[in-house]
Amino acid sequence: MSKESRMKATINQKLTEMGERERLKELLRAKLTECGWKDQMKAHCKEVIKEKGLEHVTVEDLMVEITPKGRALVPDSVKKELLHRIRAFLAQHAT
Amino acid sequence: IPDALTTTMSPAGCPHVNSFKVDNWKQNLRVIYQCFVWSGSAETRKRKAKSCICHMCGAHLNRLHSCLYCVFFACFAKKHIHEHAKSKRHNLAIDLLYGGIYCFMCQDYIYDKDMEQIAKEEQRKAWKLQGTTALPTCSRTTRCGIGEKYSTWEPTKRELELLRHNPKRRRITSNCTIGLRGLINLGNTCFMNCIVQALTHTPLLRDFFLSDRHKCEMQSNSCLVCEMSQLFQEFYSGHRSPHIPFRLLHLVWTHARHLAGYEQQDAHEFLIAALDVLHRHCKDDNGKKANNPNHCNCIIDQIFTGGLQSDVTCQVCHGVSTTIDPFWDISLDLPGSSTPFWPLSPGGDGSALNGESHTTGATTLTDCLRRFTRPEHLGSSAKIKCSGCHSYQESTKQLTMKKLPIVACFHLKRFEHSAKLRRKITTYVSFPLELDMTPFMASSKESRMNGQYQQTVDPFNNDNKYSLFAVVNHQGTLESGHYTTFIRQHKDQWFKCDDAIITKASIKDVLDSEGYLLFYHKQFLEYE
Repeated sequence: MSKESRMKATINQKLTEMGERERLKELLRAKLTECGWKDQMKAHCKEVIKEKGLEHVTVEDLMVEITPKGRALVPDSVKKELLHRIRAFLAQHAT
Repeated sequence: IPDALTTTMSPAGCPHVNSFKVDNWKQNLRVIYQCFVWSGSAETRKRKAKSCICHMCGAHLNRLHSCLYCVFFACFAKKHIHEHAKSKRHNLAIDLLYGGIYCFMCQDYIYDKDMEQIAKEEQRKAWKLQGTTALPTCSRTTRCGIGEKYSTWEPTKRELELLRHNPKRRRITSNCTIGLRGLINLGNTCFMNCIVQALTHTPLLRDFFLSDRHKCEMQSNSCLVCEMSQLFQEFYSGHRSPHIPFRLLHLVWTHARHLAGYEQQDAHEFLIAALDVLHRHCKDDNGKKANNPNHCNCIIDQIFTGGLQSDVTCQVCHGVSTTIDPFWDISLDLPGSSTPFWPLSPGGDGSALNGESHTTGATTLTDCLRRFTRPEHLGSSAKIKCSGCHSYQESTKQLTMKKLPIVACFHLKRFEHSAKLRRKITTYVSFPLELDMTPFMASSKESRMNGQYQQTVDPFNNDNKYSLFAVVNHQGTLESGHYTTFIRQHKDQWFKCDDAIITKASIKDVLDSEGYLLFYHKQFLEYE
């Protein structure tokens, strides 16, 4: 494992241990709902389902279709805020 | 109404779960949820942090799954869990991020009613646990717990029945006019109409009444809250003809005698009287006694009541005596009135924050608020007894906001009724679409006093940010005038309500208007 991925794993461990990961997840969920991202994604999912047909579509199909769009549509302000929170958390719990 | 997708999916899941549902499977599944999906306690979280990595590549991301038949974690994205499933013939795995169950035979996530039930219960348990755990350090912007998990509404059997028997649906589009309705003027009653328009477009109040939250316990037919509820039904019925509010007028005359009669009254007085009667009638709901005004939790108090802090500082010993009084509105003096308007230097605290410019020299709402919250020297003729000095001393008094209401109403004091003159002050006051109340808070004042002149503005503190949603205007003179209201619909559409006539208005129309009562709504609501 590269140094970067080792660091990522360590940060993830710390976040999980302290329950911060769950809090951040909920914050993200709230922010993405607020700015309408969730509704946009829902609409896109419906389109994909219509295209592929209700009987044949799988969760995997949906994931492949909507992930790139989903990633691109996250507002910068949300990214900034999450980053700010993670930084603040790490600063507080620096070992 | 349930989504088409869920009705075609069988709640019995897929046939391949049957081989899993043997012996003590329920308990085993619970353990998996508790330990590796939704870890509620510090202990399980630690374990999860350590052990939840892919047994093949060591990654902690890539959609980690756990095999349901043995202790094996592997990532989904790199197909490591698929390899395990194939080689061991363990057909079921669980997504460690969201708790979904994947069947390798069906090649999709499946929805088994029993398993879903277990998942729901374990999730709620974990949430409750996290909510009560006190963490060693809590930064200012982090809340300790997460509280109840938000779950989307699902209709009950009875509700489904009702929906089936009442198939007519109303679709709310972005240009739909539901909620807009004119009000007939019953003889100089525009002072009442303009306030009704503002109240029926107060989002939280609208939500309260449209979800039938008022349970009336008044014996007589004279409950004003019931009438308000009825009014909301009228406004959101979809009828386009103007409504005739004769019952409302009658109830107002009954409960606020000073407003009875066909003379033109003051809209601000009507607002306060209406809130007062609603508050009193609401209190009967909660069973709270009238002699405990500080502990009322009625919808009126929840939305409109703020706390105004008054600090009186003794000039000799500098001791401060503080009181906090509830308020429903803030009445602001204007330049041109007989009360001295503090000469304010252009710019300064607050104005830059609220995007107002002083190039035209016009007074702004922020100027008025600065004046309202400035320290005022009380003079030698108004000495206060100081508990520190044990004698009467000169002092300064300062007002600041201790607690902001969800809806803040600003009353520009345009009507002067002094002994020698009665007149209307028509000075233009510019007000913003978005308002930040931070500079006027008691906490900001305390920071300033502690020497922190340059407050570090926290860009993510949204507690004090407000949006304009209604403006009541008065045209004409003190003797004969007319009230109209601008209200906001669908975030950025404005309408002018002139008794029975509703017309579209531009944001410029609203912001250029004189302004008498300004209604602002908090942008972000936090749970208590």
